[in-house]
Amino acid sequence: MSHPPSGGAAQPPAAPTPDSASNPPSQSTGDAKNVNAPAAEGAPKLSAAELKKQKQAEKQARRAQAKASGGPPNQQKSPPPKDGQKPTKESKQGPKEDKSKALPVRGRPSQTNVPAPKDIKKEPKKEPKQIGLFFGHLYSQLRQHSMVGATKEVHPAVLALGLQYSSYVVCGSTARMVAMLLAFKAVIESYQTPVGTSLARHLTSHHLSPQIDYLRSCRPLSISMGNAIRWLKDVIIKIDPSTPEAEAKRDLLSEIDTFILQRITAADHLICDNAIDKIRPGDVILTYASSSVVEKLLLRAHKEGTPFSVIIVDSKPLFEGKRLARNLAQHGIKVKYALVTGAAHAVKDATKVLLGAHAMMSNGRLYSRVGTALISMLASSSSIPVIVLCESVKFTERVALDSIVGNEVAPSSELLSESERQALLPFKSCLPKSQSSSKGRDDGKGEKEEGEGEVIGWFEEEKNLQMLQVLYDVTPAEYINMVITEYGSLPPSSVPVVHRLSTNI
Amino acid sequence: MPQGAVTVAPGLSSFLKSLKTTPVEPSVEHFISLLKRRQIRNSRPCAIAATALLLRVVGEFKGRDSAKLVERIRQVGKRLTSAQPREVVVGNIVRRVLGLVREVVEENVDVGTEATSDVGHNSQLQHDSLTRPMLASTISTFSPLKHASAEPTDSSLHQSEAMSDSGELSKRPPFLASHTSYAPASSAPLVNSLFGLFSHPDTPSTSSTPTGHQSPNGKGALTAVNLERLADFSKSNFDLKAEVMDGIRELQDELEQSDDLIAANALDHIHSNEIILTHTASRSVQKFLQAAARKRKFTVVHAETYPHDHTATHGILLTGKKRDEYGDDVDDMWKPLTAAGIQVVLIPDSHVFAIMSRVNKVILATHTVLANGGLVAAAGAHMIAKAAKVHQTPVVVVSGVYKLSPVYPFDIEELIEYGDAGSVVPYEDGDFVDKVDVENPLYDYVPADLVDLYITNLGGHAPSYLYRIVADHYRSEDINL
Repeated sequence: MSHPPSGGAAQPPAAPTPDSASNPPSQSTGDAKNVNAPAAEGAPKLSAAELKKQKQAEKQARRAQAKASGGPPNQQKSPPPKDGQKPTKESKQGPKEDKSKALPVRGRPSQTNVPAPKDIKKEPKKEPKQIGLFFGHLYSQLRQHSMVGATKEVHPAVLALGLQYSSYVVCGSTARMVAMLLAFKAVIESYQTPVGTSLARHLTSHHLSPQIDYLRSCRPLSISMGNAIRWLKDVIIKIDPSTPEAEAKRDLLSEIDTFILQRITAADHLICDNAIDKIRPGDVILTYASSSVVEKLLLRAHKEGTPFSVIIVDSKPLFEGKRLARNLAQHGIKVKYALVTGAAHAVKDATKVLLGAHAMMSNGRLYSRVGTALISMLASSSSIPVIVLCESVKFTERVALDSIVGNEVAPSSELLSESERQALLPFKSCLPKSQSSSKGRDDGKGEKEEGEGEVIGWFEEEKNLQMLQVLYDVTPAEYINMVITEYGSLPPSSVPVVHRLSTNI
Repeated sequence: MPQGAVTVAPGLSSFLKSLKTTPVEPSVEHFISLLKRRQIRNSRPCAIAATALLLRVVGEFKGRDSAKLVERIRQVGKRLTSAQPREVVVGNIVRRVLGLVREVVEENVDVGTEATSDVGHNSQLQHDSLTRPMLASTISTFSPLKHASAEPTDSSLHQSEAMSDSGELSKRPPFLASHTSYAPASSAPLVNSLFGLFSHPDTPSTSSTPTGHQSPNGKGALTAVNLERLADFSKSNFDLKAEVMDGIRELQDELEQSDDLIAANALDHIHSNEIILTHTASRSVQKFLQAAARKRKFTVVHAETYPHDHTATHGILLTGKKRDEYGDDVDDMWKPLTAAGIQVVLIPDSHVFAIMSRVNKVILATHTVLANGGLVAAAGAHMIAKAAKVHQTPVVVVSGVYKLSPVYPFDIEELIEYGDAGSVVPYEDGDFVDKVDVENPLYDYVPADLVDLYITNLGGHAPSYLYRIVADHYRSEDINL
C-alpha cells in the first residue's frame, strides 16, 4: 500500500524529461494541439463537485508527498482517494492526457517543465508576488482599450476621449485635462436633470462620476485632471438649487471655459513671459520629451529673434519628442535630436535645461515623464541650470519620495515596436529548447500570426522574464533650480505655498 | 523559418576560416577592411581576430632576428589600429604580443647570462638599481601628460636601440641622469638609485620604492651586460618564433577563459535576493550572473540600451546569446538567465533613475577600460553609473584584462564612436532627418570616480589600482605603437 504514493511522487519528475527531450519540434506542435484539445474539452465536463474532489485529491497527494520524507505511517491515508480519482479523470480526458498530466498532479501546469518538482510547487505561489518587480501594487487596474463594459451613462464624447487616452493620441498632462473638460462640456450640454433631483446634487454624483470612472479605466487620471475634477465638482455643488437648469448649465459651461482660459491659456502665456528672458542669445536649450509650455516658449523666443538652438532628448516607446523636434525644425529652429542613451553627450553641449511637468509635488519634487530625473541629474552634476515650466493647476498636495510608490504602469507590450520585433525574429532558431517545446500549443497559434505577434508571445511565455514600463519618475528637488509658474519664478521648496495660494482663491 | 538560416555575412567566423588558407598580407588587408566596415566589432571578436592574425604573422615571419620581428609586428599593429582606432583592444593585443617577444628575448638572454655565474651576479646587482627608475618611468607614462610619454624614456630608448643596433649600447647606462627631467616627482628614489649605480648598496631596502618585484618589468630592464649578450644573441640556437607563438596561444587561451575566470568571482559579489541592474548584451556579464545564479537567487533588471544594442539585449535575454555569435560559438549550449530561475526584468533606459532606488548593485559591461580607471562602455553607461552614484549603489565593472588599455583618455571625444542615425529616426522619415540633427553615440565614457570596483580575470581591483595592472601587462616602450 505504501508503494503507490511513492511511485506517484517519482513519476512526475521523470515524465517531463522524456516529454521535452524526445519530442522533435515538428511533432510537438501537432502533438501539443492534440493534447490540449481534449484538455480543453475535458475541463468543462467536470462538474463542480468533481472539481472539488480533484482538488482535494491533489492536496492530499501533495501532503502525502511532503510526509513521504517524514514518516511512512501517514502515507496509508492518501492512496485511496487518489486511486479513486485517477481512473475517472483518465477516462474522461483520454490516454493522451497522461503525459501532460504529470505536472498537474502537483498543482497548476507550469510552463517550463525542466525545473525540479520542488520548484513547480513553489512557483505558482510566487507568481502573483513577483509581477512587475516592486511595482506590483500598480498592476491592480488593467488598462481598457475598448468601450466594452462602459455603462450606458457614459457620453459618446467621453467614450471617444477614453480611447484617445488609452492609445496616447491625447497625451500630456495639460492636453488630457483640457480634452477632459471639453468632453465634460458636451456632457453637461446634453444633460437633463431627472425629475425629483436638483442639478447640483445629481450631476456630480450620478452623471459625472461614471464618466470619470470610465476615463480612469482607460488610463489613470493625471494630477491636473484630478485638480480640474475637484474644481468642477466644487463649482457644481455651489450652484444655487433655485437657478433654472438652462441657466445653470450655461453658467457651468462658461465657468469651464474661463477655467481653461485662466489656468491653461493665460497661465502658459504668463509662464512664457516669465521665462522668455531666461533664453539668451546663443543658448543651447535641452529639453526632454515634449511639453506644450516648453514648445510655446521656444517658439516665442524664436519669433522674438533670439538665436538659440535646441537639443531634444527622447525616449522609447512614446517618442513624444519627435513631434516637438519636427515642429520646432519647421519653424526654423536648429534642433538636435538624441535618445536618452546619448543623454550624457547631449547634456555636455547644453547651457540650460527646460522641462515640462506632469505635476509638482508638495515636497518640491517634480513628477514627470520617465527619464526626466536622469536628465536633471546629469544637468545638475555638470552645473547646468534646470528650469521647470509648470502651470499651477498641476501642483498637488501629494508628496513623493521615489518613483515607485506612486506611478503609472503601462502595458509592457508597448515596449517592443514593430521593427524591434521584426529584428528579433531570427532568434527563433536559438530559443531555448525548454521554452519552444513547452510552448508547443502557442506555436500553433504563432504560425498563423506569423512574425511580430509571436515575439511578444516569447516574452510573455518566459515566466521569469518580464518587461516593465512605467510612465513617470520623480526628480529630486535638489536637481531643480527654478520652477516657473504663472505666479512667477520660485524655488521648488515654494511649491506647497503656491499650491495653497492658488487653491484658496 | 527562412530567416533562421545562417547568412554568411563576413565577420569573425568567416575571417578566422579564411585565415587558415590565405597568406598573411591579404589576411591583414582583410582584417583591416573588416574593421573599417565594422564587420568585426566589439572587444571580444576584435581581440580574437587580432590574436589569430598575429599568430599567423609571427608564424610566417622569416629569419631569427628579434628586432625585425618586433618591427614587423609593430608595423602590422600600426596598420590595424589606424584602421579602427576606437577598437582599442586591437592595439592592446598588439602590445601584448610585442611585450611577449621582448620577454622571450630577455628570458633567453637571462639564461645566457646565468651560464656565467660571475656576470650573472653582477647583472643581478645592476638589475636592482635599474629597476627602480624603470618603475618611475612607467608611472610617469600614465600621468595626465600622456604626450610626455611619447618622448622616449630612458628604458625605451635603451630597448628600442637595443633591438636595432645593439652593439654600441653598452656605453649608454650613464644616460640615466636624463631621467630626472622626465619624472621630477620621483627624484627621491632616483637619487638613491643613482648612488646605487656607483656604490652598489648592500641592501636595496634603503630606497623608498618596493624592491621585491619580480614582475616581467623586473626582467624587463636590460642591463648593459644583457645588451652585450643581445648582440650575439641572434646567433644562439633558440627558437624565437616557436616561443612567441606559444605565448600567443597562451594569450588566446586567456581570451577564451577570461569570462569564466571573471565568473568565478561572482559568488563573492552577489548575495541572495539582490536586485542587480545591468545593461546591453555582454557575454562577460551574462556568464558572471549565470555563475552566481547556480547558487543564489536574485533579480536582474536589464536596461536595453536602445537604439544601439537592444536587439542583442533582447536576444540575450530570450536565448542567452547574441545573434552575431551565432554559428561561431563553441559553447552553443547557452541558456538564458531565466532558465536558471532568475527573475529578469527588462526596462527601457529611461527607467534607470526610477528603479535605481531599489537596486543593490550595478554591473556594467565595458568596451574598453582605460589606464586611469575610467571606461568606455555602451551608451547609457554614464547615466547608469551616475544614477548609481547618486543613490549610493555600488558600481561593478566586469572586464577581461585584454580590454585594459594603456591609453590615457586625454581627449574623451576621440574614443566615442557615433553610430547610424537611422536607427534613432529611420531615414524614411526624410522630412525629419532633413531638418533635425540626429545623433546616435554608441559609447559613453564613464569616469573612474563613478566606478567602485573592477572585476577582471585576475580578480577584483579598485579603479585606482588599474594603472598597476596596465604596467604589468604592457611594456612601456610599446605604449606608442
